[in-house]
Amino acid sequence: MSDSDIFRDAAEHIFVNELTSAAIESIKERAFPTALYKALTEAGIPLVLVSESHGGADAGLFAAMTILRAAGAAAAPGPLLEIILGQSLLTKSGFALESELTSLAFGGQIDDLELGAGIWTKPPALHNVSWGGASRRLIVVYQYANRARIAVSNTADWSISPGADTADEPRDQLRGQDIPVVCAEITGLNYDETLRSAALLRAGQILGAIEWIFARSAEYATERKQFGREIGKFQAVQQMLAELADNALASSAIVEAASAAFSNMLVAAARSRLGDAADVAIAIGHQVHGAIGFSREYGLNYRTRRLMAWRDDYGSVASWRERLAQAFVGLARDEVWPKLADTALRGPD
Amino acid sequence: LAIDANMSASSLRLELPIQSAAADEIRCDVRRFIQDERSAGRLQPPSKIGLGFSIDMTRRIAAKGWIGLTWPKRYGGHERSAMERYVMTEELLAASAPVGAHWIADRQSGPVLLKFGTEAQKQDYLPRIASGNCFFCVGMSEPESGSDLASLRTRAVRRDDGWIINGRKIWTTNAHRVHYMIVLARTSSVEGSRHAGLTQFIVDLTAPGVAVSPIVSMPGEHDFNEVLFTDVHVSDAAVIGELGNGWNQVSAELAYERSGPERWLSSFRLLSEFIGTLGSQARQSTRQELGRLLSHLLTLRQLSMSVAGMIENGGTPNIEAAIVKDLGTKFEQEVVRVVRNMTSVEGLLDHENAVRLKELLTHAQLWAPAFTIRGGTNEILRGIIARGIGLR
Repeated sequence: MSDSDIFRDAAEHIFVNELTSAAIESIKERAFPTALYKALTEAGIPLVLVSESHGGADAGLFAAMTILRAAGAAAAPGPLLEIILGQSLLTKSGFALESELTSLAFGGQIDDLELGAGIWTKPPALHNVSWGGASRRLIVVYQYANRARIAVSNTADWSISPGADTADEPRDQLRGQDIPVVCAEITGLNYDETLRSAALLRAGQILGAIEWIFARSAEYATERKQFGREIGKFQAVQQMLAELADNALASSAIVEAASAAFSNMLVAAARSRLGDAADVAIAIGHQVHGAIGFSREYGLNYRTRRLMAWRDDYGSVASWRERLAQAFVGLARDEVWPKLADTALRGPD
Repeated sequence: LAIDANMSASSLRLELPIQSAAADEIRCDVRRFIQDERSAGRLQPPSKIGLGFSIDMTRRIAAKGWIGLTWPKRYGGHERSAMERYVMTEELLAASAPVGAHWIADRQSGPVLLKFGTEAQKQDYLPRIASGNCFFCVGMSEPESGSDLASLRTRAVRRDDGWIINGRKIWTTNAHRVHYMIVLARTSSVEGSRHAGLTQFIVDLTAPGVAVSPIVSMPGEHDFNEVLFTDVHVSDAAVIGELGNGWNQVSAELAYERSGPERWLSSFRLLSEFIGTLGSQARQSTRQELGRLLSHLLTLRQLSMSVAGMIENGGTPNIEAAIVKDLGTKFEQEVVRVVRNMTSVEGLLDHENAVRLKELLTHAQLWAPAFTIRGGTNEILRGIIARGIGLR
């Protein structure tokens, strides 16, 4: 078994045993799924990307993607991605691991913050911060010159306006001035690569949700009977489910490739392709399920609503498309293929 | 039910593509070859899509050892891996090299003979295919048998010294310029099974009783033919595999043709011509549309490479291969639609630098409806996928 398989099995085991519909529903009241995260922490899941010298597993982005794929399939609530990436960024920047709930935001270019402890006089407003209000600490990743840095602060120093995404997950707005922060440089990752890591991990969640919708819809078509036979016996339904299978397999191919290579092109391609696959999964998943899929009680809605929320996270689908196209605009006719074929499989470009 | 992450309904699986130094090496070799062909003026930027047909090019490719690449050396092959063959074909196709003459023999006729043929057949045909001296076409479709292949009416009747074939094949690409057809014919009627009683034969297209007549396609070209068999005599040595096992052999043969790069690269030269014509400025909407197409292309390539690698590892990823063809051919059509719109939005339709782009666009539009029909319609492919995921 590879590291990825071990992490996937551990994560799936926890989601099956610890995650309840009630826990998914209660995030609407902004209740953090404490029991679930306690189990995940005990299994070492949050430290999958942290180096062994800091007590982590150092299992790499592919394994982390695999965990988030399982989380996406299970519609697991809470900021798992932000916790996993946050712990890794902390240790890469010389901080200790954080035991308090910590959220993560991307602040773009910031020129007025010195390294070390200081006061952030005029931070930008931070939008859509996952579980920002529930967290004790906040990591803001920002770009300084061509480097990536983080600014760590206490959320208590910020003014927080609660919000939520389509899945009812808290997405808060944080504003403030004269915030006490400690800033440090992330070693080994620039700003684009840090954002790309978040985009790739979100891709894992999107993939998991798409795969669940495909598997459940195909299964449902063999259970539900109308006109005296299973609806999966009708060609119209078979054709739809084949198209959903196409999209699930395509999603898996590009996300796995992007996780293995971590190139800008493949991550951009993955997020662009997943945008279309998510749209197809939502449309066909619901069409196959009919009315039952529209009920709050049935599990389909948890994945549908997360796909709607995740599709444009950490770079919108449109922005990833523009970024991918930018690598090709200006090429001569015969340069297009080598660009496609050569940079696709190898490391960052 | 809310949280059950059980994926048992899905029998689909993928492996990451195999990367090897040998694959990198053949990629470089093919690129060098293409560069030489271009420098020598033997390979011009095309104004048409399609595989092209050039016996000269086929011979030069054969001289490189790239036909029958994976076959045993004793049959003229080179015993290289499926991944190397994948890389070689995608490089030739992406460069628009005219490979049509040997394409069918290399992709499916040769592998069918290798898998089911007699020793004598292998020794007779495979070395000639690999040296670029023997070309094949596919004898499956008939006037009354398209998607419903098992309903075919061509019959082969036993006669003391062999078989007498009567019937009609249609949509036969290149029948007017290749040497042999593998004919699927009914040799017996089996009660209760339409799939039993079919047999494959190798038929020399110059044999008495074979009449080839052209079918001009919508783009105005002669690639397709109708082939009439009137009392055509073949010997027992022409039978491929077991009598009556034709359906299983054809199913294996069709699986070879579903996941290759020719299933998603047909309109690639239109896309690269568009990018080359566009220059360094592009509207935001164009960049979004272009990025979307490129993301689908990169995804299809990953799928196609994965399937090639799984075949190399001894797997039979038939459902996954059907998915590549379903997605790939729809993508090929989408490229044509989207490039047409982007060309218009960018004001290139009547631009003096866009003459070749416009020619390609016209030609690709005319061919596009065939992408999702040839080699088995997408509806049939989705039926195969539906069976694979447990619905049929």
